[in-house]
Amino acid sequence: MTNWSGLIEVTVKIRIIAGLSALAAAAALTSCSAEPSSDKGDGPRKITVWIMKDSVTEDFLARFTKDFEKGRPDLDLDIQIQEWNGIGEKVTAALASNDAPDVIEVGNTQVAQYSASGGVKDLTGKVDDLRGADWLPGLAEPGRIDGKQFGVPWYAANRVVIYHKDHFAAAGVKEPPKTRDEWLAITEKLNTGKVQGIYLPGQNWYTLAGFVWDEGGDLAVRTGGPWKGALDSPEALRGMEFYKKLQALGKGPKDSDEAEPPQAEVFAKGDVAQVVAVPGGAKIIEEANPELAGKLGFFPVPGDSAGTPGATFTGGSDLIIPEASAHHDAAYEVVKALAGEKWQTDMAKTMSYVPNRTSLASVIQDNEGTAAMAAAAAQGRATPNSPQWAAVEAANPIKEYMTAVLTGQDMAEAAKAASGSITKTLNS
Amino acid sequence: MSRPAPAGATGGVGARVRGLWPYLLIAPTVLGAVALLGYPLVRNLLISVQEYGMGELIRGDAGFAGLANYREVLADPEFWEVVRRTLWWTLLNVVLIMVLGTLVALMLQRLGRAMRLLVTSGLVLAWASPVIATTTVFQWLFASRLGVVNWFLTRLGFASFEGFSWTADGTAAFVVLVLLVVWQSVPFVAITLYAALLTVPAELHESARLDGAGGWRIFRSVTLPILRPVFGLILCLEIIWVFRCFAQIWAITGGGPHDATTTLPVYAYRIAQSLHRYDLGAVVSTLTVLLLLAVLIPYLRQLLRQEAEE
Repeated sequence: MTNWSGLIEVTVKIRIIAGLSALAAAAALTSCSAEPSSDKGDGPRKITVWIMKDSVTEDFLARFTKDFEKGRPDLDLDIQIQEWNGIGEKVTAALASNDAPDVIEVGNTQVAQYSASGGVKDLTGKVDDLRGADWLPGLAEPGRIDGKQFGVPWYAANRVVIYHKDHFAAAGVKEPPKTRDEWLAITEKLNTGKVQGIYLPGQNWYTLAGFVWDEGGDLAVRTGGPWKGALDSPEALRGMEFYKKLQALGKGPKDSDEAEPPQAEVFAKGDVAQVVAVPGGAKIIEEANPELAGKLGFFPVPGDSAGTPGATFTGGSDLIIPEASAHHDAAYEVVKALAGEKWQTDMAKTMSYVPNRTSLASVIQDNEGTAAMAAAAAQGRATPNSPQWAAVEAANPIKEYMTAVLTGQDMAEAAKAASGSITKTLNS
Repeated sequence: MSRPAPAGATGGVGARVRGLWPYLLIAPTVLGAVALLGYPLVRNLLISVQEYGMGELIRGDAGFAGLANYREVLADPEFWEVVRRTLWWTLLNVVLIMVLGTLVALMLQRLGRAMRLLVTSGLVLAWASPVIATTTVFQWLFASRLGVVNWFLTRLGFASFEGFSWTADGTAAFVVLVLLVVWQSVPFVAITLYAALLTVPAELHESARLDGAGGWRIFRSVTLPILRPVFGLILCLEIIWVFRCFAQIWAITGGGPHDATTTLPVYAYRIAQSLHRYDLGAVVSTLTVLLLLAVLIPYLRQLLRQEAEE
């Protein structure tokens, strides 16, 4: 062999080694090490808090930090904003580490999984101190496993319809719809020329869940024994049929969700008549396009019959304290302050959220967006109460199912496949 | 290899240091390999025989499970379907990559100087682009509403591609991924083979042509036998590269729709990170390594034999 081909062989062999290393790295994807932390000493009194992106405004956090640190010169509050994408892995890794943050905000559909893992501090003894008697069940229940309370309810928000008043006026629509049939008719009227009747991305599965519940179906059911995916029940299929009709009255992409592209930005361009979002979404829309200030209206997602709004998903967050936190007492003080009346009231007004206790609900009565939300809150529902539900969301078969149906595949067949996938995940 | 120390009492410290020198030089590499390869491999094997879920990860008290995890995975029909899909995925990609890469290499040989420079630059650029950057470009190309591919196909008269969602249909998603992986791999094959082609003496081609051989005959009887060792190596590399391909699939389809693009690495990742069954994930990745070795052993053996002959 000539010289250069020896050279090539060497390079090629290096690539073999690189290839094998990558293989080993792939094999190592699953390995992580966990050491139980024993050091709960004083240490530096820096209290780290993880808050999810867009949960609250920066201004709110600045006010809270200032107020919290005022009476506590020995504590230094360090609030870190986390992205939703990949948060499951990140929180899991934090709980398994020995330098976990002291307080973490976790979604109410995910809190059960962490609570069941043994890595979260049991706060059952503090429920009275936190006035947990009238916590919102949609937040308190997922945070409770076997009678022990791990997650502390922080805030909730239901989805409502945000609409563009100018487009409603131009189409001659005087009143928001009261039933789902009316809603379809109105949206069809709005959907002319440049204007989209509604911007509904194909994978907004929280909205689909509302329709499914409204028809009497569910995402998954458990009758005694194991869980069973239920998207293929006749009721659930009717919910999907309605979603398909509604989705067609706009230009929402069939293969992505409300985050991609961010639907608030799409709405902010001005050519969309309606969007399904939490009331706080209106603030983001106005931030993106200040010209829309004052032109946004709200109504609850309509139900089957007038007088009863549609069932909606209660979204929200709980606060947890990792066992691995080195400052349990200080962490509890942060949780108590954030979940207490003063900051709950402030947050409800700032963010248009439902406070964590029903007795505080009156603070949001005089706001149009939260009034629509409060009307729907009575019909609030939660995702199936299983620690494994977070795993379903992580590789979401519901989104795939929706895209399949919207792109013309057989609905019953796709629903059966998705249900099978949910069944398998919930029982594994 | 260390040379035997020179005899005699005066050898002493200097000789001993000289004897240690090669080991010192190789130590960082060995340590690096043990830390980055050996430890994860051993750890992975260990987890695969433990009961290891999210709770065990957090509490650190995993118990021994014997071969129960292996039994669970091997008894799952889904696993075997994924294995079949992975083999089919590997075969399809590797064949396309090898054929296209060889054709491009042969073309390079015949091109004039300017064109050759242009094509080689293009190949190097495609090869040098980071995997995720290229993947993102492909995502944009095949975007349902604003993608160039749908726009182009619609203009060609295929109206059904208006707003067509490539990732919603199993076959279409598979096709997009194959195109992407082939696109990323062909440059390496083409450049390496072109370099190897340069070593084939021109006289061999000439005399073959004088004997009346056509292009295909020359390729089969002259070029191919000379290039065989390089071909074998490239084939091995491409099999490894395609088999373990993860980032592209994860970014574009996440293994969907309905598992149509779930290959073994994606399957292992989903089990470990979505289901938090780290034990089963470890089993799948161990089996993946074994399967890949089984596929490669014939080639590796041939390679070693050739080396021995030389």
